[in-house]
Amino acid sequence: MAKTLQERRAERQLMIVLLPSLLLLVAFVIYPAIYSVYLSFTNEALTGAAARAPRLIGSRNYMRLFGDAKFWNALFVTFVFVLGSAIIGQFVLGLVSALALRRRLVFRSLFSSIILLPNAAPEVVAGFMWISMLAGGDHATLSRIVSFFGLPTADWLQVFPLTMIIVVNTWRGIATAMILLTAGLSTIPQEIYEAARMDGATPAQMFRRITVPLMMPTILLYMLISTVSTIAVFGLVYALTRGGPGGATELISIYIYNQSFTAYQLGYGAAVAVITLLVSLVLGIAYVRAAKVEI
Amino acid sequence: MKKTVFGGLCAILLGCTSTFVQAETLRLANHGQAGIDAMKSTVERIEKKLGVTIEVVEYPAPDKDYLSKLLTELGAGNAPDLFSMPSTAAVADMVEAGYLAPITSEINAWEGYKNFYDVAKKLAVSPDGETYVMPYMLGIQEIYYRKDVLEKAGISTEQPKTWDDLLARAEEIKTKTGAYGLLFPAGVSWGSGAFDEGFQHLIVGSKTPQIVTEDGKLDLNGEGVRDVFDVYKTLIDKDLMPVQPLLGPEPWVIPKYEQFPAGKLVATTCGSWCYIFDWGRESKNPIPDVTKVVGTWTVPGQTGGQFVLANLAAPWAVNAKSANVELAKKALLEIGSVETQVSYAARIGNIPSSKDAAGDPEFQKLTELVPIHAAAENGTFLKQAAGFGTVAEGVARATDALLRKEVDAAGAQKILVDYVKETLGDDMVK
Repeated sequence: MAKTLQERRAERQLMIVLLPSLLLLVAFVIYPAIYSVYLSFTNEALTGAAARAPRLIGSRNYMRLFGDAKFWNALFVTFVFVLGSAIIGQFVLGLVSALALRRRLVFRSLFSSIILLPNAAPEVVAGFMWISMLAGGDHATLSRIVSFFGLPTADWLQVFPLTMIIVVNTWRGIATAMILLTAGLSTIPQEIYEAARMDGATPAQMFRRITVPLMMPTILLYMLISTVSTIAVFGLVYALTRGGPGGATELISIYIYNQSFTAYQLGYGAAVAVITLLVSLVLGIAYVRAAKVEI
Repeated sequence: MKKTVFGGLCAILLGCTSTFVQAETLRLANHGQAGIDAMKSTVERIEKKLGVTIEVVEYPAPDKDYLSKLLTELGAGNAPDLFSMPSTAAVADMVEAGYLAPITSEINAWEGYKNFYDVAKKLAVSPDGETYVMPYMLGIQEIYYRKDVLEKAGISTEQPKTWDDLLARAEEIKTKTGAYGLLFPAGVSWGSGAFDEGFQHLIVGSKTPQIVTEDGKLDLNGEGVRDVFDVYKTLIDKDLMPVQPLLGPEPWVIPKYEQFPAGKLVATTCGSWCYIFDWGRESKNPIPDVTKVVGTWTVPGQTGGQFVLANLAAPWAVNAKSANVELAKKALLEIGSVETQVSYAARIGNIPSSKDAAGDPEFQKLTELVPIHAAAENGTFLKQAAGFGTVAEGVARATDALLRKEVDAAGAQKILVDYVKETLGDDMVK
């Protein structure tokens, strides 16, 4: 059926309203992404002969990447980091915080402020703050705590580097998880819990049978956001360890940076970035599909 | 009314005139407060002499971050007109990239260049035979040791004659004083310092003293490279050098600024800047009577010989894509003046490349540096080649693995070779 004049005018107005956003998206997201794909097929570099005359080298960067043990190490480290800090650490502590804040606590405002506090510090500042806590030597905070209990001290970022960055990132991300999950919890009507209580359901049963299923869309949305954003974490870990020692905390984001701005191999760095984009895309699609599950 | 119109016309005319006579602007990159302070009087002099406006752009202080930002801007074509380079190792690669404007004819015609030390002139010549940098300051490096600590412990202060002799001395220091005996900068966190202030000292006195072949390839599989890593391995395994601080984010702070002044580290490689910046008059933790308390040894060769390492300290260059290359070259020659050299020497402690500095009354006041300046011509150096920046990063990675006791000397050499091959291609490594 032909559109009326009014409908066509409304469509035109809509396009005009959306155009600036569309242009910005093309300029700052779509074009750079396409250019990165192009770069990944070149030997473009920041210095040396390849910087003067870069050339197309086909799929050589990708062939090199698949045989590069450091790339696979970076992928593995990123997987453990995302699993440990986003999927387990932040989610569990965020959910516990959200459930706790639903109750009538004495210091509820203080408790929520403390949880939100890590987000107030810029990530590099937070990184340096944690270095002072986890550094080697007798004066570092954690070493002082463990020595108080008669336990041996250590340079925690050297001895347990991956565990430490998981702890720090968990600390930093609890607030986001808590806010999202609190929003999810608030959508569950209290009447359902009251009815369950009248039927004799225990708190554990109510959590398993009511809270978790009804929160599933929120949980999956949180998982999608936190997984993708944790894959992209850079500043906090770079400030803490710079990817060391010996690649133990070299996340894929740090690996991309090191290839592009330490080894100055932009083409190879772009190839790693393209693969990371694909991994994020696959995970995103999987979460979106899972979110359509009927409860 | 007429007065108002006349006044308005005058204002417009004045505005137009001032636009026409407005000075051209040169952008100059600088990093680190000491470097910015050292350039202050030079900037004023250039503005006055050339009638230009100089805009000083402050860059991040750590050398590695500075170089990354500079290279990114050079690649993008929006870098400043003039800039310094944190490491000599970066120059050849930047020449290959076409970032630097050649200054051979200008610098050779410049009167001030005639009295530069030959070692500085040689270091400034790139593999293609052209000169691209102003080699106005030299980093003269050797081993600095705590004379007072050694004398008190009854340990010889004589010049060690071989690597074995040096390691034996470090061991004696550890046994008799409990302090660390010797430090060679190492590890990824130290950036190019692992190469510039560590590895180079030893390789020039090894069985394979150069790592560039006649055809410009990098010879990294040589016996000398492995032997150098073996020295690191010995120092680390016998706990003769501090390891934990070198794995942290600012590895130089604890050993250089805390342990050495406290006598807990007795010997370390360093440059003349240590007498000024690290432990001298510009230091936050100075050692009183630093030249009496801290002595120097040249770095002994593997089986003999003595080596004092010479590098170009933060050489300046002109951006090849500068909108006003000729003007920038004139400004570059001003940066090479004795006055600027002395200003840098006073604040940072590097050595002026001009012999004329010896006659400068301000330089004469820097009594710590005068004898080093007089002997600067004896400096040894590695022949430069494209890919040195990559070698420096490879050395940092290899020594990092040694610090973590993950590999032996052969393993460290493999890390270096593999990294350079991965980055530059198999055909670049012999």
